[in-house]
Amino acid sequence: MFLALIQKQIKLLLRSPSELLILLVMPIGLIFILSYALGPLMEGDTEISKVEIALVQHGNQEEQVEAFIQMAKDFFPITDELKGQITGMLPVKLLEEQIMENEELKEFVHITKVSESKIDETRNEKEFSAIIEIPENFTFDFLSYQFLNGEKPSFSVYLNEGEQITASIVQTIIDDFQHQYTLNKVLSENGLLSQGMIVPTPEISSTIKTIQSQGEITSKIYYTFSMAVMFILFIAGTIASQSFLEKDTHIFDRILLARIHPITYLSSIIVSTVILAMLQTMILFTFAYFIFDITFNHFDLYLLLTFLLAMVIGGIAAVLSSLNYRYNSASASNVFSNALVAILALLGGSFFNISSLSPGMAKIGMWTPNGAALDGYLKLAQQVSLSDLLPNITNLAILLIALIVLAFLLFPKRGGLE
Amino acid sequence: MIEVVNLTKAYKKGTAVDHINFYIEPGEIVGLLGPNGAGKSTTIAMLSTLIPPTDGDVLLQQKSVLKDPSSLRKVLGVVPQEIALYGDLTAKENLNFFGNLYKMPKTQLKNRVEVVLQQIGLEQESKKLVKHYSGGMKRRLNIGVALLHEPQYLIMDEPTVGIDPQSRNHILETVKKLNEHSNTAIIYTSHYMEEVEYLCDRIYIMDQGRIIASGTKEEIKAILSSENTIVVKVENYSNDFMNDLLKQPFLSNINSSEGEVAFTVAKGMNFLPTLFSLCEHHRVLLKSFQVEEPTLEDVFLHLTGRALRN
Ligand SMILES: Nc1ncnc2c1ncn2[C@@H]1O[C@H](COP(=O)(O)OP(=O)(O)OP(=O)(O)O)[C@@H](O)[C@H]1O
Ligand SMILES: [Mg+2]
Repeated sequence: MFLALIQKQIKLLLRSPSELLILLVMPIGLIFILSYALGPLMEGDTEISKVEIALVQHGNQEEQVEAFIQMAKDFFPITDELKGQITGMLPVKLLEEQIMENEELKEFVHITKVSESKIDETRNEKEFSAIIEIPENFTFDFLSYQFLNGEKPSFSVYLNEGEQITASIVQTIIDDFQHQYTLNKVLSENGLLSQGMIVPTPEISSTIKTIQSQGEITSKIYYTFSMAVMFILFIAGTIASQSFLEKDTHIFDRILLARIHPITYLSSIIVSTVILAMLQTMILFTFAYFIFDITFNHFDLYLLLTFLLAMVIGGIAAVLSSLNYRYNSASASNVFSNALVAILALLGGSFFNISSLSPGMAKIGMWTPNGAALDGYLKLAQQVSLSDLLPNITNLAILLIALIVLAFLLFPKRGGLE
Repeated sequence: MIEVVNLTKAYKKGTAVDHINFYIEPGEIVGLLGPNGAGKSTTIAMLSTLIPPTDGDVLLQQKSVLKDPSSLRKVLGVVPQEIALYGDLTAKENLNFFGNLYKMPKTQLKNRVEVVLQQIGLEQESKKLVKHYSGGMKRRLNIGVALLHEPQYLIMDEPTVGIDPQSRNHILETVKKLNEHSNTAIIYTSHYMEEVEYLCDRIYIMDQGRIIASGTKEEIKAILSSENTIVVKVENYSNDFMNDLLKQPFLSNINSSEGEVAFTVAKGMNFLPTLFSLCEHHRVLLKSFQVEEPTLEDVFLHLTGRALRN
């Protein structure tokens, strides 16, 4: 009997071409359009594919070198060769070279030199993933530390906390730079320093490789998941309006007369929605796998996340059905499909990564079912483990429980027949 | 036996059903006749426990079913006034779906589906989507779904509304056979008095939420036994003639259309001299003259002063 209710629901959906068009053809079309038309835009300047670093240097490097040489003259003779070495290992220049002259890094990272006067402005803008601020006498102090055992100088790095991936890339670069710089110091102390050894490229490239294998979010990946989580929402509206049609055409009368309890009926709506939502996502993912070469490592985690999302969609379908039955009109499901889906999609980041606008936005997004799932899928695309998914799982579970409770509370006695 | 006692449904806009009483015994066909808005569907919805009455009770074997609708629902089949079917499923799929809701065992369901398809004459078209059916075929399937679980009582709410005469006859025959062969008790709702007259043993006439007459066909028609309905056909019909006719005290319920005038007169009343002299006076030519048996329509007209259908 329960099975019959579910079979019926699945048959009805599979037999309505206009619904299938919205549920399957539209998302596939949009993934194509968005990843090819908007893709380059996205890859050009967003935090996901390119790390923007601002470099702020206080003081003039050449003047500091000059000042150092003037001072050092009193301690040891400055030959032309040493002068060359000194100018060759200026730290800021070293950092710039490390990034800009490395083929692999160049694709990832872009450095913008920002003048001192604009530093506050830069800090308030969100377009940079990191700001490296070199203090006034850094070069001078650095040279003193190298040659005269002075204080170890330091510089500041500001990371944009909203962007974990890029922040970790920057961190790696800085660590690497520090490693270099200590190495230089060791080498120079042992008198082994020579110009050819300053930039040992192999170590840098090996670091970058590990970053790349962590999974890069391409626009194809982004839009595959963002469209999947957006269009899964439509299933809830579709099922709820189909269920209202059952009341409207008096089929629900027949269901009651067959002694089916309204709770059983509502449960069948939830279960069939879960099945259909899973089916839709599987079809979209299979498509993405073959056409867009998107890989799904950790298939079990993808399945878990999809199942949870599908359950929440089932909960939404049930709430909408209850509202439709209660108010004896399909307006709840209509408003959902025609307006609410778009709002949820926006907040959840289906159109663009809205969470990068502010941490508050990111928080709101995580409380939309689609936003929580999208965030989870993107994490999975970067090879995380179950524990990284915990916030997503928690939010979805809370949403699920709230929706189910609400649905059963709202469903009117006798289905609202009067 | 199912009984309704003082059954009442009050809505904000007015009382749809107003303290009605009726009963149906096993094996009977009972007609519920009434014009649009009389409260027939509301009565049926309360009777089948789908909506709660404002007042009154529904009894099955003298026991109220309002608290425990299950006992009644088990023995009840309802054919709703609306086509309550899935257009995107075939006839067979619809039957299987509703049969499954009744938890019928697989083989039994299979048999019943075959039998029902035969009863409603849709064996050939059982694999067509219902949305591609004609109105008459949909009506027949709408009935078939209610027959699957072999209900003891079948309630049919205007099962022939808006269909062609052939389908209509088929449905009337199906209902008759069902009653004769399976001894199913049937409450047949309609605003077609011919159907009710043809099918029903007993009849309730409903208007504006109340039952205004009840009994066998003969008993109800006996309400008019003191009157005859006369239909005359005339030529040169004029309004003056009509006005003079209306002034006659012994004629009532005068209805006229071009060339045809119908009225009732008390039995044994010799009205012919008056009619002839009126015709002569207005130079109206009398073409034919007929005394008719009263119909349920006439009874309704007599009781309410309005026609059953307009
Ligand atoms: N849910 C409701 N709320 C308010 N009024 C209602 C409701 N249902 C029915 N009515 C009113 O009750 C009256 C009786 O309606 P009902 O449908 O029972 O008549 P009916 O005899 O079945 O008519 P028809 O031949 O048109 O089917 C009508 O005036 C209708 O407007
Ligand atoms: Mg009705």
